Amino acid sequence: MSAPVLWNYDLDDACYRVRLMASLAGVALTLRSVDAYPGAEHRGAEMMALNPLGRLPVLQDGALVLTQPEAMLCHLARTGPRGAGFLPQAPGPAALVQEWLAFAARDLGAAAAARMAAMLEGPGDPEVLRLSARDALRIVEDHLSAQTQRGDGFVAGAEASVADIALFPAFALSRDYGLDHDAFPALRLWARRIRALKGFVPMPGIPDYH
Amino acid sequence: MPDLPSQWTPVALVADLPVATSAGTVLQGAEVVIWRDSAGRVHAWEDRCPHRGMKLSFGFVRGDRIACLYHGWQYDGAGVCRYIPAHPELEVPASICVPAHAAAEALGMVWVAAAGTDPGSLPPGGAEPLRSLFVEAPLEVLVGLAQAGLPGAGAVTEARRDGALLHLSQGGTRIAAGMHPMGPGAAALHLVLPAGASEDRRLALVTAAAGLRRAAEAAAGTGEAA
Repeated sequence: MSAPVLWNYDLDDACYRVRLMASLAGVALTLRSVDAYPGAEHRGAEMMALNPLGRLPVLQDGALVLTQPEAMLCHLARTGPRGAGFLPQAPGPAALVQEWLAFAARDLGAAAAARMAAMLEGPGDPEVLRLSARDALRIVEDHLSAQTQRGDGFVAGAEASVADIALFPAFALSRDYGLDHDAFPALRLWARRIRALKGFVPMPGIPDYH
Repeated sequence: MPDLPSQWTPVALVADLPVATSAGTVLQGAEVVIWRDSAGRVHAWEDRCPHRGMKLSFGFVRGDRIACLYHGWQYDGAGVCRYIPAHPELEVPASICVPAHAAAEALGMVWVAAAGTDPGSLPPGGAEPLRSLFVEAPLEVLVGLAQAGLPGAGAVTEARRDGALLHLSQGGTRIAAGMHPMGPGAAALHLVLPAGASEDRRLALVTAAAGLRRAAEAAAGTGEAA
């Protein structure tokens, strides 16, 4: 069986989530580099045929083509030899995983947009996006403060799940869009736990030491 | 660099600074790195590497030293540079050092002050961590509201300021809040409880604290972007 193919841009935080999940789950990926900036290859004819949304990442596993990062994380966790723990099955934790995956996709989207606006000429007002990202990260900070009181170190329980991986880069890269880590102590300790996971891989802006 | 005040100020919860970690904070406009070495000792320094000005709080702790993220310059517990990776054979001049403040732990919080400040004036006793609350509002606005209690967490029977602490008895729980002025428009409260509060109560207080943040920022006109 050939390795899944990830159409990848190293500086994109959604691409990084997929590389990170694959490494944690023990899945080897074949990376195909896409010159998203400045080349805008992800909006060229070849990539638009693969993903009409014109976005990265794209993950192809055999006949399966995925364009939504959250679906990719779940697929890698389900198929990887070390992935099962990242998809809790009990109803409570499973519901929390869905909750925080949706939060990462919808409400935390401002963080990726803020970073693109600050670094790579993306659309939107950087300051408005920065404040929206701050508000979203505070919701995660409040939740993790509660999890700490429950004795749980991750968003859906005591172990890391796909939801933690979905949320991670928005905080880890927040200095790229002008939001320091100082006001988020629970997120800071949670990020340190994620860095310590077996198979953790860095990206530019996210070192593996802490 | 302006030195820190000669009164102790709480800047973090002890629980949020585990062994071999660092964190950046701001005290009345002064940027401070707090870090804990492998032996468990807490240090508070000016948050600036003398080499290129990089924040040391972005760096990493190895053993009894903290290293700068940029070029790996390593500083010992006294703030003296001991190793420069680009010049491994060099005996580093003792003049390369980071200004150190006083640091201490009391009542479940990390406290900082000007170097040489007497630790005898720190509050006695231990406490259980609740959470730190960072707010983009002046400290007086935040504390003024906090004295009326955390929103929705029960009736306030006592609200007493004592130095850098606000003692709050609310809904049958004794809460101590370390008051941390960060700058003209930013402040933090470091919240601790006596041992024995139930998990339900602690969770309610964690949530109520977020309500206090919203109220303080609404009062200061710095509220949520949406």
